[in-house]
Amino acid sequence: MQEPTFLILTALAAGAQHGYGIMSDVARISEGRVRLRAGTLYAALDRLKSDGMVTSDKKEVVDGRLRHYYRITDEGAAELAAEVGRIQANAAVAASRLGLAGGAI
Amino acid sequence: MTWSAELDGHSSRLPARRRTRMERRYRRLLTLYPKAHRQEHAEEMIGVLFAAADYDARIRAPKPVGWALRSGQHVADCADLVAGAARIRGRMVLNRVKQATRSGWMVPDRRWSDALAVVSVIAPLLLLVAALAEFHLPQAVASSLTGHPHWRLTATLGLGDLPLAAGAPAVALLALLRLRRLAGLGAIGAAIGQTLLTQGGAAAQRPAPPFTGYSSPVVAFTVLLACTAAAALLISPGPDRGLALLTRGGAVLIGAGALVLGGFSVGGNVWLASPSGFTQGLGSEVTGLPGDLLIAAVLIAVAAGCLRAPVSRRVLALLAIPVIPYAVLWQEKLASDLFGQAGGAAASISSSLPLLYLPPLLLAGAIVAGAWLARRRATRQVSSASPAGPRSAVSA
Repeated sequence: MQEPTFLILTALAAGAQHGYGIMSDVARISEGRVRLRAGTLYAALDRLKSDGMVTSDKKEVVDGRLRHYYRITDEGAAELAAEVGRIQANAAVAASRLGLAGGAI
Repeated sequence: MTWSAELDGHSSRLPARRRTRMERRYRRLLTLYPKAHRQEHAEEMIGVLFAAADYDARIRAPKPVGWALRSGQHVADCADLVAGAARIRGRMVLNRVKQATRSGWMVPDRRWSDALAVVSVIAPLLLLVAALAEFHLPQAVASSLTGHPHWRLTATLGLGDLPLAAGAPAVALLALLRLRRLAGLGAIGAAIGQTLLTQGGAAAQRPAPPFTGYSSPVVAFTVLLACTAAAALLISPGPDRGLALLTRGGAVLIGAGALVLGGFSVGGNVWLASPSGFTQGLGSEVTGLPGDLLIAAVLIAVAAGCLRAPVSRRVLALLAIPVIPYAVLWQEKLASDLFGQAGGAAASISSSLPLLYLPPLLLAGAIVAGAWLARRRATRQVSSASPAGPRSAVSA
């Protein structure tokens, strides 16, 4: 799973969000390291929707502009959980080999 | 401050003229996206783009640095829009390819699909007739019927004849065994082999004599027929469906058409004088005008028989692609028969590459474009008819 996809799913794991919300949340989660741009965000959302990992939620109009909300599906949550497991396992092995605290044996 | 706070609570810091210019640019770039995606997300995306731009406008920095920063972010946003459109469109193409692969590259229009299925029976048979003519088999039969002394059974194959002589029976056999994909690939191989070996033969003789190499109607017919057979075998349900659609009358018409084509085939022409060649024998020693009348009668019967039904009309259009080179050959013979050998040469249009290949390619292009437009029209009618349903129900 690519990092933007991981961060978008992580942003949506806390609840449904609109495009702007996802962008700002991704910036917050990555501590400003990842800045999703509109083209990347909506191409990723389009792919995640067609893969069944994200679905459309409610719509609302704010300042004359339509906002779509997106929600993570059970399939998307399972995929994210699996990815978290993979990252944790890899991180544990890396920490162990570096002799850092909390590493696996 | 986060971007969402920027969006929800604060007014824009971008000057109005700059906003207008930026919005115009964003909208122009959004036209790169598929229509459905644009309709659903364009306004939202513009909102997101301005949110990011407003955030950048609030960053405190010396004037030139701030300008460079904002301009750089704007260029990056524009480039990202283009990349996003390319990703979405690329995925759409990939999905279509996957879908087509799953369904076996079938033509979606039922009538064209059925027509191609019929052609998947006829084209391999015609290819076989052309291959048999390599051995002068149809010529020998026609010769015994007409009593012409020149024609007899021979088997003099050159390297250039091999793709057809070996490929055509293989394609026909594979089609008969219902191995349509393999048969289609075999037909592609025959077309490529014929093209490559013709190139070799033509390069060996310079200047190339008339009616040889690519300017030979026979080579054009073989290559185009093999391509038509390949398309029919690969993108239609195949010979099973074709045979189910073929009527007895249709089979008779195919036989008559094959007889004419067999006479006009590789290795010499029953309809044209002696085997020594076109230049010496254009005087039509064999059949002359009666031959022309027979050919015309067969062609008219085939055309009249095919024009009656939508599927057979499409079969006629598809088979016309490879048969067009023979029309070029026939008009030369006709001119010779009507005006005599000397006058005929002046009256006829000489066989040439554009004359042989351009009309078949234009016809093939017109068929593909026509089928695509018809499908698009049908899709539009369906989509415009669907919202009318509830309205009419309400008014009723």
